[in-house]
Amino acid sequence: MNGFEQRGSLVWLAVLILFVLHFVLHIGLSYGREAPDLLTLGLLIAVRETSLGRASALGLVTGLLEDAMSLLAFGTNSIAMTVLAIGGSITRNLFVGDSRLFFPAYIFAGKWTRDVVHWLAMGPEVRHPFMEQAVGQGIVGALYLAGIAVALSIILGRWGEG
Amino acid sequence: MSPYGNGPNSGEQIRDLTLTGFVLLLAFGTMHLPQSTQERLSTVLQSGLRPFISMQELVSEAGARRVRVEEIQAELDVLSAAMSRHQAVEDENRTLRRLLDLQEPVDYTYLPATVNRPGTPGSESTFLVDVGTREGVQAGAPVLSPTGLVGVIREARASNALGIDWTHPDFRSSAMLADGSIYGMVESRRGDFREDDRLVLNGIPYHEEVTLGQVVLTSGLGGVFPRGIAIGTVLAIAEEEGTWRKAYVLDPIAAPAAATHVLVFVGESGDSVNLGNSSRERW
Repeated sequence: MNGFEQRGSLVWLAVLILFVLHFVLHIGLSYGREAPDLLTLGLLIAVRETSLGRASALGLVTGLLEDAMSLLAFGTNSIAMTVLAIGGSITRNLFVGDSRLFFPAYIFAGKWTRDVVHWLAMGPEVRHPFMEQAVGQGIVGALYLAGIAVALSIILGRWGEG
Repeated sequence: MSPYGNGPNSGEQIRDLTLTGFVLLLAFGTMHLPQSTQERLSTVLQSGLRPFISMQELVSEAGARRVRVEEIQAELDVLSAAMSRHQAVEDENRTLRRLLDLQEPVDYTYLPATVNRPGTPGSESTFLVDVGTREGVQAGAPVLSPTGLVGVIREARASNALGIDWTHPDFRSSAMLADGSIYGMVESRRGDFREDDRLVLNGIPYHEEVTLGQVVLTSGLGGVFPRGIAIGTVLAIAEEEGTWRKAYVLDPIAAPAAATHVLVFVGESGDSVNLGNSSRERW
């Protein structure tokens, strides 16, 4: 296995761990916003490793899994995650992402986009005001996830060097 | 890793775009599926998340077992005192019913259950209980905490059931003041922030005087909730419409987020004031 393939395997393993950890935290341990949205982080990482079609399918599957526990607005997570996966996959062709700032900025923008799309997809009778849900909670959640992403990239970088 | 940038007009790119379009259509389609199909799909998807749901049940049970023995003893003492008075009241009630030639009240049965709350986006105001149709739980069954009404079961499955608490926008309950003098409808109102979510007692005739601090109970009308479950206390006037209707903000008695151990009704809730077979109220 060459270095390129090894990196790919490492990334997919990290994505799988993030997905499992997300459901452990949010369903197994019932954490809400206090736990980071690792499903979105994993998806944002995964979609840069695969083609547009596969990325969108992965987005739909992850969105449906989130929707499994949602009675308020079934389908909104599916839409948000699919749109996010498509958007993330398109950035592959626009940004190579060598800059140190790119990764946290990409995660921040991705998470915030996900929250805004989710807010838009929800019906007005279910969602909270835009300033609270999409701006306030959205930006805080995006910053939180970007911080987690930076920590993860440092850990993975050291592991890769080791 | 796939290469960056596909060649223009390549077959792979067309296949990719077609798949993406199809997936996007599916994603938007899920929102417009009939509710029954959404619930079936949700049940199938939840079976995939079963290990995490089981983990949550274990964690909740462990949390419930940590409750201090002293607290349970104190609750038992209060309950024993209440029960000693209850026997006398029940006897008096039976005698009065016989004198007035009223039917015997409906006997309720309930199941203890553990509440599990997912933390995924969109699952706010919903919860899972670890009892289902195998134990006799049906959709529409009221869910109570030791303090009062928490919510109602929305969807019952073999081994568990999905419910909505009173913060859900669809929550409704017919209600009355504790003395039975005024009847209305309790509904959930979204606040600017989640912490501002309120219960509102609506449909009160303008001329009726409601004193702040009065306890509001389920009225039993409509046949969903049994009569007499505590909902909240009257906090303030929420709105007035002309000179014919008033609504009051309630201070809810049960905090859904704090409820870990609940009771799920499995009997016929019925209408304990015997006003006939009114249609099921919408929740």
